[in-house]
Formats: sequence, C-alpha cells, structure tokens
Amino acid sequence: MRRGGAHVSSGERLVVVGSGMATTRLVEQLVAHGVARRSRVTVLGDEPHAPYNRILLSAVLEGTHPEQALTLRDPGWYAGAGVALRLGTRVLSLDTARRDVMLVDGEVVPYDRLVLATGALPTLPPIRGLVRPDGRLHPRVHAFRGLDDCRRLLAALPGARRAVVVGGGLLGLQVTRALAVRGLETELVEGGEHLLRSQVGAPAGAVLARALRRLGTTVYTGTRATRLTDEGLRLDTGYTLETDLVVLTAGGRPSTALARAAGLEVRRGVVVDEHLRTSDPHVHAVGDCAQHGEVASGLVPPAWEQAEALAAHLAGTGATYTGSRSVARLRATGLDVAVLGDPERAAGEGGEVVEVTNPVAGTHRRLVVRDGVVVAAAFVGDLTRIGLVTQYFDRSVRLAAHEPGALLVGERTAPPARLADTTEICACAGVSAGAVRGCSSLEEVRATTRATTGCGGCAPAVRELLASRPALTP
Amino acid sequence: MTDTHCPYCSLQCGMRLVRRGRDLEVEARPDFEVNEGALCRKGWTATGLRGHRERLTSPLVRDRATGELRTASWEEALDLVASRMTAVQEEHGRDAVAVFGGGGLTNEKAYALGKFARVALGTSQVDYNGRWCMSSAASAANQALGLDRGLPFPLADVEQTDLLVLVGSNLAETMPPAARHLDRLRARGGHVVVVDPRRTATAERADTVLQPVPGTDLALALGLLHLVVAAGAVDEEYLAARTTGFEAVRREVAAWWPERVERVTGVAAEELRALAGRLATAPRVMVLTARGAEQHSQGTATVLAWINLALALGMPGTAHAGWGCLTGQGNGQGGREHGQKADQLPGYRMIDDPSARAHVAAVWGVDPDDLPGPGRSAFELLERLGTDDGSRALLVMGSNIVVSAPDATRITARLEALDLLVVADVVMSETAALADVVLPVTQWAEETGTMTNLEGRVLLREQAVAPPPGVRSDLEVLAGLAARLGSPSHFATDPAEVFAELGRASAGGRADYAGITHERIRGGQGVFWPCPSREHPGTPRMFAEEFATPDGRARCVAVTHRGAAEQPCADYPLHLTTGRVLAQYQSGAQTRRIRDLPDTGPFVELHPMLATRLGAHDGDRVVVATRRGELEAPARITDAIRPDTVFVPFHWVGANRLTNAALDPDSRMPEFKVCAAAVRT
Repeated sequence: MRRGGAHVSSGERLVVVGSGMATTRLVEQLVAHGVARRSRVTVLGDEPHAPYNRILLSAVLEGTHPEQALTLRDPGWYAGAGVALRLGTRVLSLDTARRDVMLVDGEVVPYDRLVLATGALPTLPPIRGLVRPDGRLHPRVHAFRGLDDCRRLLAALPGARRAVVVGGGLLGLQVTRALAVRGLETELVEGGEHLLRSQVGAPAGAVLARALRRLGTTVYTGTRATRLTDEGLRLDTGYTLETDLVVLTAGGRPSTALARAAGLEVRRGVVVDEHLRTSDPHVHAVGDCAQHGEVASGLVPPAWEQAEALAAHLAGTGATYTGSRSVARLRATGLDVAVLGDPERAAGEGGEVVEVTNPVAGTHRRLVVRDGVVVAAAFVGDLTRIGLVTQYFDRSVRLAAHEPGALLVGERTAPPARLADTTEICACAGVSAGAVRGCSSLEEVRATTRATTGCGGCAPAVRELLASRPALTP
Repeated sequence: MTDTHCPYCSLQCGMRLVRRGRDLEVEARPDFEVNEGALCRKGWTATGLRGHRERLTSPLVRDRATGELRTASWEEALDLVASRMTAVQEEHGRDAVAVFGGGGLTNEKAYALGKFARVALGTSQVDYNGRWCMSSAASAANQALGLDRGLPFPLADVEQTDLLVLVGSNLAETMPPAARHLDRLRARGGHVVVVDPRRTATAERADTVLQPVPGTDLALALGLLHLVVAAGAVDEEYLAARTTGFEAVRREVAAWWPERVERVTGVAAEELRALAGRLATAPRVMVLTARGAEQHSQGTATVLAWINLALALGMPGTAHAGWGCLTGQGNGQGGREHGQKADQLPGYRMIDDPSARAHVAAVWGVDPDDLPGPGRSAFELLERLGTDDGSRALLVMGSNIVVSAPDATRITARLEALDLLVVADVVMSETAALADVVLPVTQWAEETGTMTNLEGRVLLREQAVAPPPGVRSDLEVLAGLAARLGSPSHFATDPAEVFAELGRASAGGRADYAGITHERIRGGQGVFWPCPSREHPGTPRMFAEEFATPDGRARCVAVTHRGAAEQPCADYPLHLTTGRVLAQYQSGAQTRRIRDLPDTGPFVELHPMLATRLGAHDGDRVVVATRRGELEAPARITDAIRPDTVFVPFHWVGANRLTNAALDPDSRMPEFKVCAAAVRT
C-alpha cells in the first residue's frame, strides 16, 4: 500500500472536511487535473449553503453585492464533476488509525486520504454578558464570519439605530463602514493602541482613524470593552456605549479541534509541510486551519495557493508549497487601505523604510525595501500606485535606488508651453508643427501637407497653430 | 481614373487612382462611406511600390552549383516547382508538400490557394498567417454567436453607441481614418474607453484609459462582469430569451472581486469600479476587441469573456451595441472564409463536415472522399517543416514568414531545412530570399480582385495599370502549377470567373457570397455577406432576431484566467509586448520600400523609471533579450507605457525572434503579445 504517495490512485476515496473557499479552489483544481474523475471525492460541508465567496460578505452587508451572486459553484457543478457535495454535514471526530471520520448523526465516512479545510473560528473577546447562560449569543450581539451571521445581522438592521463594532482589524473596518453606509451610527472599539495593528504601524493607524472619524464613526483605541449590560457596552475607561447592536470582529483562530482530538500536530494551526501534509501522511490541511512554517494566514489568496499546490501534488506533478505573499486589501467604501506582506515585521528585521505620511491629506504610504526589492508595503488613503507596486512586490522586481521614492510621489505631466517646430502634429501624414506654421490656411495645410486628412485627430491642434501664427508685419 | 481600395489594412479605404503621365496618383474618393475620402500616409503613398527598383520581374531559381538565385523563364520555374513537388509527394506522401497563404490575398486568391492545396496537391497541410491575426476572435465568435464576421454591424455604428470599449486596439495608428468615429461619438456625448498596456494614440482620444499588465485582459473582463452582476445590471430578460449558459458564467465571476483583479491586472480596483459603473448604466455598450486582447495563449477565452460581458448587458443583436472584432489584415475577413485555413472549406464550411465536403467537391468536380481532412495550424505546420513528422516542400503566397512568425529564429531554421521552398511575392522579402524558387507576381493596382473588409463588406479592387512585363498573377501561377500537377479540377485565371466559382462554392455556407458578383459591387459601397442571391440586399447587421447557433441563442461560455504562458522571472523580469506603428504595415515588405514612409527601424519603448533603472537614455542602443533571442535597437523613452513592460514594433526582422509561440488551445494563436524579457544597456 502506498503511504502518503503523491499520486492519487484510481478509485481512491478523497474526503474533504469543510466547504469554504479553500475547498472550492481545491475541487476546481482536482477537476482540472483530472484527479476528481479517477478518484472518489467527497466534500463534507458544515454550512448548508452552496460554497460561496466569503470575501464578499461585507459587501452584502453594505448592500453593494447581492447575496445570490455569492455562490462560487452550484451543487449541480459538483455533481457534473463527479464530486459528492454533502452540505449541512458536521464532522464530529476523526480517527486516523481507522481512516474515517464520524458525522454528528453517527455515520462513518471512510477515506483513503483526508483534507482538512475547516477554516477559522471567530475569537470571542473577554466581555461579560456576550454569551447567555444557554450558550447562545446575547440577541444584540453578532459574529461576522459566515453567511448565516451576515443574514442574521441584516435581519437585525431595520430596528437598529446604533452599532458598536468590537475589533479594529480589516474585517472590523469593513463591517463598520458597511453599517455606516446602511445609515447606522457606528462606533468602533479597538483594544490595541491603533487600528489595523497587526498590519500597519501607528502613523498609518492614526491616519486611518482620522479618516474613519471624518466619515462619522467614533473610534476608541487603547480601550477594551468589558461588559454588555442593558444600558449598553461598558468600556474599561468607564464609558458605556449605548447601542442596539454589537458586532464582534476581533479576529479569528484556526479551527483545529478535529485535528487536535485526532492527535495531529497542532500549534496555532494544523501543522503542514511543503505538500500540505499534516503529521499523518494520509491527512492534509489547507486554508485558514493550516499552519505552514510560522504562518497561519487567514486570507484567501494563500488558502487558494495552498489548494492549488495540494491539487497539483495529488495529481502527481511534484508541486510544492513554499509560502505565500499576502496582499490584504480593505473593501470598504470611503477607506483606501492596502497592506502588502508584513510591513512592521519587515521594517523590524532591517528592511529600509521609504515612507510619506501626510496627515493633512489623510495619506500614509510606506515601502519596505530589502536589496532593492519591495518586501512589504502599506498604503492608506492613496492607492494611485497600488497596481504597479503590487506587481513589483509579487514578482520581487529589483528596483534602482531612486525608484521607491519615485513610486511615492505623483507623476508630473506638464505639457510644453510651445510646440517645437519639429514636433509631429499629424501622425497620419507625418507633418510637423513647423510645416503647419508654414501654411496660411486649413485648406493650404490639407493640400500641401495632407495633415487632417487621415484620422482627423490633429484638426484642433492644426487650427490652434494656424490661429497662433504671428501676424505678418508689412 | 479607377475607383479602388487601399492595399493595406482591413478598413479597405476607398481611393481613386489617376494616371498623370507615367505616374499613378492617389486621390480622395469621398463617396465611399467607410472612410469618406480620408486616408493615412500609407494610403496616400500606396503607389510608391510601382516601378520600384526592387520589384521582381523575372522568376528566380537557386542554382545548385553556386547557391545563388538566377533568373529563369516561367516555363522553367513552373516545371521545376511541379516536378519537385511531385517527386517529394511520391517519396513522402501527399502531405509532404504544404501551402502557406496570407490574409492580404484577395478572396479569389485565397479560394484558389485552398483549392490548389486540396485538389491539385491533395495535401491537408494548408494554413495562413491569418491564424496569427484573427483566429482567437474567430474561434470565440463561432463558439458564442455561431458565426464569425468580425464586425456584425457597419463600423459607423460606433458613432451611435453610448459607451465604446476598445480592448487591445490602437486603431488611431493601425487604421487611422477609423478614429474619426471615436471623435464623433464623443462629440455626441458618448464615452470611449481604451484598454491597453500603452497609452497609445488611440488612448489619447479616449475618456477612460486602463493600462493592464499584458496578458491580463481576461481577468479584467471577469472583474468587470463581477461588478456588473453585483450592481444588478445584468439584463436577465435578454439572457433568458436570447442566450444559454449564463449561470455558469455568473458563478465563475463570483470569484473575481475587484481587489483580486487589481492584483492580477495592475489596474486599481477603483478604476474597475468606475468603468463597471458606466457599463451598468450606459443604454448602449459596444465592446471591440483586437490583437492586443487576442494574440495570447488564452486569446479565445479572453474574447469569450468580453463577449460574455456584452451578452450580460443584453447588447449583441441590438442597435448600435454588442461585440465586434477589429480585423487587422486587408482581407483578414475574407481570407479566413474561403478555404486557406487548415480546417475549412469555402463559405466558412468545416472540412470535417460530410455535407460541406460533398457540396464543395461537387463544385470542384471531384470525389468528396478525395478531399484531405483538416491539417495543422500555421505555427504547428511551420515548426515541423523538414522533419520526419512534417512537410518537405512549401509554397508561400502573400506572407513574409521570416519576419512575422513567432519564435522566428526557430521557424527560419525550419524553412532552411526544406527540400523545396517556393515563394510568390512582389519584392525580395526576407522569406523570398531563402527560397529555391521565387515567382514574381502582380500587386494590388495591377490586378483585379475582391476584398472583404472588417465589416464583412465585400469590395472590388480594380486593376488600374498594366503589370510590368515578366510578372504573372497569383491565379496564373496556381493555374500553371495545377495543370503541370495534373489537377483533376480546372483553375481559372480570370478573377471574375474565379469569384463566380467561389460564389457557388460558398452558397449555403455560413459566409455565403452566392449573390455577389464583380459587376454588382463595382464602384459602389460593396455588399455585406451573407448574400445568398442576386436579389438579396446583403446583411449589414446581424443577430437582430437570432444568433447563428442551431437554437438561435448565443452561448455564454464560462472561462477563467490562467495568465500568460511565460511569466517574468529573475532573469527576464519585464513583460515584452509587440505591435504596429502608423507608417508601416505588417512585415514591412511593402511599406519599408516606400520612399515617403519613414523607415525608422525597430525601437524599444521604455518608461522613464525603467530607463533610469537601466541607465538608458533616449536614443541609446539597448538589447532586449528573451529565452529565444535578442534584438538591439534604440531606446525610446516614454511615460505612456507601463514601467514593467517594454514594447517593440514588429515590422522589422528581430521583434519576432523574441516572441513566444505558446499556442491557444482552441484557435492555435501564438502568444505574440506577451512574454518575459530582459533589457540591457
């Protein structure tokens, strides 16, 4: 018997636990590589919904993306690809010795190879009163991780006037803006000293807080919520924020309970190697639940890169996963934020920092450069060069000494005051400004130079040149 | 005085040729509606090749002893070609002789060339340089709309739309008179969008310019459709009534949110949102793709993605809206319809369709079973030349392969490995210079023939002057060879007679020319195919009632972005893209020899930031290197190009030594428009 060999053999039972974005990508790639056809792939999804794009939930909350357009693949697509998609199916336990998983209803699903793609769970901040004695969240309290959370929050909006968002990370900012766009009075509570503290430094966080305040949100940083009461959400400063809704966006942690109980190596996430293999050679893990090296990312692009690498590995291509470059982009109306890599850490590790902060304009841009390569960057309030900088970052382009600076200042485009006689005015006919200046009328220009007789684009310039001819002195 | 059309691009501008003593002069022909008298400098100087000292006027045969070309009589040259082709076929089989045509050939020549291959030679190995031009758009249009006519409406419809999106077209330089439509559209209050890695002359006339990373137009289209879906701007009623397959497309684009697209394309999410907002609200949207979007290893999928966007908005088949392709070569449209393409017979019939074979075989008076099957696509045909798996002899008409083939060094070596290379041309092109036999043929104003322009408008280009002594028309060359090869079917040499035969062969096909004659289109505005009978008015606008698919519905084909075959790396950190300049045309065999057109030679466009990194100044000679070759040329520094991209025009030997021949799986289009490159000073 093969033990964890790369190539999925014919008829092999491949079971995937989880139906999130990593799984969707994994199955797409298994289909593309032909693995899905020759093996038996089963997806066990906890959520009852067809696999959807979780990235866009805050846009659904904001009202800029319809819920029906979240679905990534219909159940019919899975069926057509020969993949068994079992939704609303929770896995209770994993037995790596017998190689099977048990569902909550007692059904046992055997596998030859298992992929854990169980995602992440929202972190509950230590606030008294969040959870009621029966274990459910207080009716005013909302998490924001899955589609059901999003629906529940949307359903609560009609009667709500005020909302407090707890957690000033990317998700917290997105949810805050979404609720504000929906017309709620919003307040944001962040326990750290500034917003987005796991991505950016204090100056960027300060610029962001100011931008958010300008948009009407009250921001509390360096402040913890301690207790939810009938009066509202109590802060450790003594204030109580009256509110109809409390939305928890204080980050997430890898969902590792299954793996841990089964005895797999788990640190922050389920530990995987370059083949996304856990400590058991028959079990892989991808996405938010997995930890590769020191990193358990929680972002979609690395999850997809892991899924692609795993599918390629299972197809026998010898592909390996060596880590991802992360690009985190805030999707929130009115706030422009992009974080490439880990700028704080890269700067701390000796990267050279080139930055421009303009609190007046509400912009902060920082590039961290090592050996000429942009290894991390943070942009707040001004994304004019984001497309190019991302290309440089993703492709490790080696820049010259002047370039990081040039990337942070605007491009100058000042047209010359007077066209030189040699400047080409009409490309169609190859006519210079001087040749046009030598003519006395549009008719003469047409007849002698053929300018304006092609695409017609030079006609305004020709008229202008003719009009600005110096008057002939007798 | 002769009313005719320009020898160059697919616009086929009307012009008037007037004899003044020994000179032949170009005059405006304002009554022709496509260009209304306008011409670019290529058109104005088009007669410059007449009487040129480099004009070939005698057949040339390579002397075995000296290796030099020497003059020969037509009899000797044609006898030699026929006997050597016969010998090669006797030894290695029918497919050992291949034929390579061009998108500049008249319909009559393209038709005769395909017939010559299938009937006189009996070879399946025939394809043409249009494979490198139009094939991705053709493949996408056939899949989505059931029919490939580049523009399914007259070009002037552009002026009446509300939002025009040009994807990978620099029409202000490649077909300048067409740019007038952009100005008129804008004067009416319309909005013009240009998508191009370079801020071209066309972009200068646009309201919105997006500059994506080369090779990512597909991701851009997916991202725009994502936002159109999100905005609820999809025309559900239209999709339900006129299309199939949109649900799979809707799911596919759910994974292409703006920030992901930004990372792939380098186009900021805000720019995408702004354009999507316009798309969602404009009453009429027209999307036109060209080579920039199409010449990719995912070119077909890219065009399909833009067609999906147009279908989602409910545009194709409605007035002044929809999708179209801006064809490149003069007869890029007609050249792909009448049988010089490896898998097609005249009338856009497919060669593997038994009823199509029966129809065409009957016109040709041969047994359908004697017709060969589909052959190899252009690059695949060429890359095997002179190998055990490929042809040993090649006849080239209307193409300068040495300059225009991708990965040209490799392909030139294949041409040199042939037992026999025969080239029919007007001048000693770089390809003719390699030939064993060169056949001097008539050009443009010296012959009559029809062209089908980018709108599907069939036009008559009439003879204005007598050809120089010693040259023959391509039709005469084919007839002469066919007779010597013992062809079972007759080859006419009179263009009107050939066109009448073409009409019969195309009758009932998708590109039906049966109702068009030379007489009918002489001096007029031309007739749009399909035109099945003399009484039929032609078809300027298509798809108003139904699409050309079996059920009349357009197909929404779900596609995804894979990216260019060759990505930048540490050794080749830049993107290289190629294209045209205004004063030159294609491989330059004609335009480089015209005195009044500036022959600048190739140059390398660099962004100032990149130039400073490299230490290059404007005009410095720099070397562009790829995995396949190198080119040295002066730097031209401009902030109109992306800083991570360099551009080289392809009219001169060199640019295509750099390009990558990764092929599109559907169209077999090579990836001319992007590969990884390094620049050295």
